[in-house]
Amino acid sequence: MIVVQDIHVTFGRGTPLEKHALRGIDLTIPEGEFVTVIGSNGAGKSTFLGALAGDVLAEQGRIAIDECDVTRWDTPKRAGLVARVFQDPLAGTCATLTIEENMALAAARGQRRGLGLALASERRNGFRDRIAALGLGLENRLHDRMGLLSGGQRQAVSLLMAALAGSKILLLDEHTAALDPATADFVLDLTRRIVRDNRLTTLMVTHSMRQALDYGDRTLMLHEGRVVLDVSGTTRAGLDVPHLLALFAKQRGGAEISDDSLLIG
Amino acid sequence: MSEIALFGAVEIGLVYALVAVGVYLSFRVLDFPDLTVDGSFPLGAAVCAVLLIAGVNPWLASLAAGLAGAAAGLVTAVLNVRFKILHLLASILTMIALFSVNLRVMGRPNVALLMQDTVLTPFYGLGLPDHIVRPLVVLVIVAAVVLLLARFLSSEYGLAMRATGVNARMARAQGINTDAHICSGIALSNGLCGLAGALFAQTNGFADVTTGIGTIVVGLAAVIVGETVLPARALLLALVGCVVGSILYRLAVQVALTADVIGLQASDLNLVTALLVAVALILPRLKGKSRAVRAAR
Repeated sequence: MIVVQDIHVTFGRGTPLEKHALRGIDLTIPEGEFVTVIGSNGAGKSTFLGALAGDVLAEQGRIAIDECDVTRWDTPKRAGLVARVFQDPLAGTCATLTIEENMALAAARGQRRGLGLALASERRNGFRDRIAALGLGLENRLHDRMGLLSGGQRQAVSLLMAALAGSKILLLDEHTAALDPATADFVLDLTRRIVRDNRLTTLMVTHSMRQALDYGDRTLMLHEGRVVLDVSGTTRAGLDVPHLLALFAKQRGGAEISDDSLLIG
Repeated sequence: MSEIALFGAVEIGLVYALVAVGVYLSFRVLDFPDLTVDGSFPLGAAVCAVLLIAGVNPWLASLAAGLAGAAAGLVTAVLNVRFKILHLLASILTMIALFSVNLRVMGRPNVALLMQDTVLTPFYGLGLPDHIVRPLVVLVIVAAVVLLLARFLSSEYGLAMRATGVNARMARAQGINTDAHICSGIALSNGLCGLAGALFAQTNGFADVTTGIGTIVVGLAAVIVGETVLPARALLLALVGCVVGSILYRLAVQVALTADVIGLQASDLNLVTALLVAVALILPRLKGKSRAVRAAR
């Protein structure tokens, strides 16, 4: 469960480039809910995810994950509660470490790291089973460096890594944006599977309205640092992309949609 | 090259192998260009020499030298992660400060160790000539350090340290306190250099403030030569590569300086070193280019 109360984030305060990125977001996401987040460029989607993960600290407001007030916690401290997959396949893994080393890093997320071997043999076998379940044939490449994998493979492994250690919430920041359509579908299917199997409370930022409606239980639209649309249940089930566009236009006071990328897909 | 010169080169190569391994830790594992070693190496030598003269057990004195080096490294790391001073500049500040610290520790620019017991003393009486005993003892110490370090880097903690150097953002998202890992890693790196300084003082019989000059370049040269000769991805092999690189580097320098035909003098050492490092850095690039040209055809 995530409770967000009136959080504000400003970048470059007091400079000519000051940007009030989040302007009072109030939100309660019950345990196990899969929320998709859309919005045009600069709407504050990534900042919102960053605020949940601890990359940016809110200057006002409160964030609680599972009854735990994490408002002042930095990223490493929140890592026991938060798992993430980044947009850039290179960002979420260590390219020069092997696949199994990356998995070992993720398996210890949020835990004390001692002097025990990171890759004991029973652990290795556990990794092999997990990665075999992906069906990508990576189980025989555990010793390969992560950098040798394709973008799609890396995102698939990143998703797997996100579920290796227990966590309360999963943050996906446009994690399929850098992939070709077929690979993106595969990664999205995998996302659905992992979220369901681990009953993770999930926020998925996406640029595609289609994806936003097809996946998850609830859809948020951000605009200029505020939540302007919040639909779930039967209201959401009856929505299609044109409806969403119309709602979006209405929220913006009838202004035309100018961001082409929102219309794609 | 005489037999004594040969073993001498191997011995000094082994002493500097600890520097090479330390430099590998900072430059390669943590991706933190750290010049502190130019100060922590003579600091180790100074601390060890002073303690030996005071009658302290040589092993304890060597350990203290390592700890002193680690403390110096910690200063650099804290300047960087806590006070956001650029890593290169932070390490130069510490290095410069250590020059004065080393003079204070010794009370004068150099200290001779003439009659003092060293870690080598018990082994001199075993029947082998001194110039073979010295590299052998150092070899055993270096081997122990390399094995321990490889084991450390394979641990959960060590793996987190490696992740810190490769992708700090990812590391933080995995709950790794990257600042703490930089601090402990740079401290460990300089601790090894301090230990190298202690061994240097004990094998050569003196400590001198100026021995630190260019330590970083020598260490880097050893790392690069090692990577060229032993291009291994496996951790233990990479560390062994540093040791082999350090010995090969010393042998190359020895050959260059003793071959009368070239006409080099001992004072040309730093020039030869710089050239060697430059060539070692340029060669892989040229090799890559010629491969690309061939592929294009």
